[in-house]
Amino acid sequence: MKNRNSILSTITARSFKANRTRNRVAVLAIALTTLMFTSLFVLSQSMTKNLIEMTFRQSGYDAQVSFKSVTEEQAEKISSHPDVEELGNSIVMGLAENQKLSGRQLEIRWGDNSYASHSFAFPTTGTMPGAADEVALDTLVLDRLGIPHTLGEAVTLEWRKDPASDEITSSTFTLCGYWDGNQSAYASMAWVSRTFADEMTAGLDSSGESQILGLHMAQVSLKSDSHIEETMDDILKDLDLSGLRYSMNLAYSPEMNASAAQETIPMYLGMVLVFIAGYLIIYNIFQISVTADIQFYGQLKTLGTTTKQIKKIIYGQADRLCLIGIPAGLVLGYLLGMVLVPVMLGMMDGQISVSANPLIFIGSTLFAWLTVLISCLRPARLAGKVSPIEALRYNDSGTSSKKKTKKSRKGASLPGMAFANLGRNKKRTVLVISSLSLGLVLLSCFYAKNASFDMEKYLSGLTISDFELSDSTHEDRTAGYNPNGTTLNQELSARVEALNGLEGIGHMYSSQLSLEIDHQTLQNLKTYYTEDVLKEWASYDKQGAQAAAQAMEDKKAAAVVYGLDGIPLDTIVQEQYLLKGDFDAEKFSTGKYVLALAPAIEKDSIDQNTVLPTASIGSEVIIGDNTYTVMANVFPVNSIANGAVEDTQKRQFHMSFIIPSEHFKELWPDHTLRKLFFNVDDQEIAAAQKMLDDYTRNVDTTLPVTSRKTMEEQYKEETRASTVIGNAISIVIALVGILNFVNSMVTAIVSRKKEFAMIQSIGMTKRQLCRMLVFEGLFYAGFTLLVSYTLSSLTVGTIIRAMAADGYATFRFTLFPLFVCTPVILALAVLIPYACFKNLEKQSIVERLRME
Amino acid sequence: MSILKTKNLKKYYGTEPNIVKALDDVSISIEQGEFTAIIGTSGSGKSTLLNMLGGLDHPTSGSVKVDNFELGKLNDEDLTVFRRQRIGFIFQNYNLVPVLNVYENIIMPIQLDQKKPDRKFIREIVELLGLEKKLDNMPNNLSGGQQQRVAIARALASKPAIILADEPTGNLDSKTSDEVIDLLKRTSRTFGQTIVMITHNPEIAALADRTIRIEDGRIHE
Repeated sequence: MKNRNSILSTITARSFKANRTRNRVAVLAIALTTLMFTSLFVLSQSMTKNLIEMTFRQSGYDAQVSFKSVTEEQAEKISSHPDVEELGNSIVMGLAENQKLSGRQLEIRWGDNSYASHSFAFPTTGTMPGAADEVALDTLVLDRLGIPHTLGEAVTLEWRKDPASDEITSSTFTLCGYWDGNQSAYASMAWVSRTFADEMTAGLDSSGESQILGLHMAQVSLKSDSHIEETMDDILKDLDLSGLRYSMNLAYSPEMNASAAQETIPMYLGMVLVFIAGYLIIYNIFQISVTADIQFYGQLKTLGTTTKQIKKIIYGQADRLCLIGIPAGLVLGYLLGMVLVPVMLGMMDGQISVSANPLIFIGSTLFAWLTVLISCLRPARLAGKVSPIEALRYNDSGTSSKKKTKKSRKGASLPGMAFANLGRNKKRTVLVISSLSLGLVLLSCFYAKNASFDMEKYLSGLTISDFELSDSTHEDRTAGYNPNGTTLNQELSARVEALNGLEGIGHMYSSQLSLEIDHQTLQNLKTYYTEDVLKEWASYDKQGAQAAAQAMEDKKAAAVVYGLDGIPLDTIVQEQYLLKGDFDAEKFSTGKYVLALAPAIEKDSIDQNTVLPTASIGSEVIIGDNTYTVMANVFPVNSIANGAVEDTQKRQFHMSFIIPSEHFKELWPDHTLRKLFFNVDDQEIAAAQKMLDDYTRNVDTTLPVTSRKTMEEQYKEETRASTVIGNAISIVIALVGILNFVNSMVTAIVSRKKEFAMIQSIGMTKRQLCRMLVFEGLFYAGFTLLVSYTLSSLTVGTIIRAMAADGYATFRFTLFPLFVCTPVILALAVLIPYACFKNLEKQSIVERLRME
Repeated sequence: MSILKTKNLKKYYGTEPNIVKALDDVSISIEQGEFTAIIGTSGSGKSTLLNMLGGLDHPTSGSVKVDNFELGKLNDEDLTVFRRQRIGFIFQNYNLVPVLNVYENIIMPIQLDQKKPDRKFIREIVELLGLEKKLDNMPNNLSGGQQQRVAIARALASKPAIILADEPTGNLDSKTSDEVIDLLKRTSRTFGQTIVMITHNPEIAALADRTIRIEDGRIHE
């Protein structure tokens, strides 16, 4: 006898085979659900991975611990400890000071292979230096120095052996290796050989505080990523080196993981949506299939199959479906993830890696499987619970109508019958409508959210003119801004002024000096910077808060004076940036007035009684040798106030003031231009950009250029990710909804074959039957659209409006995706019943009537 | 000793004033080994009574005792197990599982119990019912009489003490009907089983040891 297996698995297998159509739809639904889970997992995993990778790149190394100053013996001792995986050594020579490198720190060092590779600075072409005259550099530095990426090129680096003296050492090397520069880190490495390092440090003792030359640094990789500080302390204790100072790589801190988790929250929300969408369809498929086979289950029950055994049959079928659907979904989802990850992470620097963590596949499988099991819970209970007697009477109309009579004298109109048919299984109708609406509403929301983004508003926060050129040290937060820089020289200004279609121009100068805080200003500061405000400030910027407290105590602060004219001045005195006071151009140009910058507080949130932590209007401030009257308090517009300070050695509290640039030039005649703003006619933007491109390529590689156009493109690049993902998820969910819709309509018609034959036998024509079915489809579609339009209007009108309220958005009500989907759904609603009807027609009425 | 016993059994459908009394105060007792026929017109309540005896349906009130088990006290799961172990059902529409072949259908209740079928016994039944050559067939390849014989084989296979048959010959022509009844009588005698059979055919009822007539939910013996 061929039947050795349990009868249950035989029944499971055979009834599985008997439900081919259902299986196809179910496999498709499961595959789609798995696909979404997998791609979301891939995205969130890759996001975390890349985020950590990026932090490594920002901190410049990926070892757990670094030592800023050790001796060679200490380093050796540490590397021999059993808990230490690897130790890299480096000896610092100094910082390169070539003029062409201004704005980029280049550290001349010797490093061993381990140190170099853990610092993202191991040559990918060529080798680490071996001979005394060899050097390895990254491409960023090579580009700035204007040296082609070819081994054997000559490289001259200027540096000082002693930062305190003015004596400059010029060393010429041969390029022996290079690698792609790490833009995220603030400094680049110039690797020299050990021979060169020893030559330079000969007879030197590097214990001095300010001495850089000969400083021995080390990076330590531990065997485990957890409890880094404890482990390191233990290691040092074991080696009798307690007290040796080290710092932990920020990328390994728990905060880092927390912030990575935060970044992935939208993914988890997405998973919840996927679960709902998956549930709605898989549940529906099984519910339909169980209902159709209810007599079969009733029969099994009559013959002695227990509830548990019947549930086993249903779950067995679900498992078989998973066995096909899940692997398919995993593969497709991973492929989709591979396409989406680079799109999403496009804005991040460095190599993008798509995570292939087995967790992704295990997680997706588990989630998809759970979704299927949960979806089958109710259908399985229905099948298991069925009473044998009821099963024989059970039909698809589900719970018998509570309505006992129906007052109608109109007779049976086709739309009326179609409408009544829809109401026969209200639960399913509701289910299908919600499934399809879920996708449509999501799509509308994502679209409205993206459509409400206001590029003008966004750009105005970043740039105030078509082009902004600045001094190469404008944002140099390490060495500080150099007020005598030569980036924006006469020649460049002349080129800009000669541009065709120049519509406006503006200049910005700046100078820094110290300031005695007057009584009134001190009061303002003290009122604003209360204990609580300082505490909050300290929570993210301890030094800044300390500097503010110190300034209030000493009544001394640093003053940054900006000389402005043209575009920046016109911008900062606009209504929305004028926090307090009025601007009088004529009075201002006399040079006796200043505008005092306040912190970045939205104008809406202050009134006349709000005290701003700056000089009061009408009060007098003494800057340098001059006394000025404060005319107004203004908002610190990013383009103007976002640069670096001059003195970066000591963290100081700053107060900023604006004077006319004419006056500024009289006071500081040798200060050079800090920023140059200009607008050109829209048609000439490309030409202006070309001029600047030529300039940065041929004349000055260090010139920082910000253009509205590139900002716009950059933004689009950055947000393409969330747009693509949001749309991808809602489209797949909408697809699942459509699949659900199609499946429900088809099964609803197929399961009523006999009933239709009956109505036809009493005189309904084919045409009438076909029309009735189309009416049903249209009612279905109509309800879905009604629900989708209502819910979308509500969510877009409230949630999206609220989301658009802050940030760079201007809310615009739109239901565009719905307008696009409406004809598609209506077309489906007509085509599917029509196709089903054509299929029905193949069998004669008598054949269908006889059907079991 | 009575093996089947009902006491004041009532089954009402619907609510006042449209109440349907399918069974109204039925108390019967059937002895072990008896071949009893229940007769009545359509809608008289005979199927309801049979379903009650087999634990397929729950009474509105009253009790059913089978083999000294009070059916009302068993939960749904236990009732199912009780049914497949002690009662063999034969239905008018055969109720063969369409996805299983003849042999699988016959041994299905035994397998559901996770027991090994008694091969020798099954072969005996199969030979008795003349199904030897049909074992691999699927139900839809069999004639009505053959399907009913499979159903009988299935009812007998687990050696139940009681066989409940609901118009087993209702869908069969008269020649086949006679054969089926003959088979039922013979097998029940061979295996010492109690048979309760519904029929509306008086000729068939006359073949039984005892006839119970039911009309409007009440017994008229």
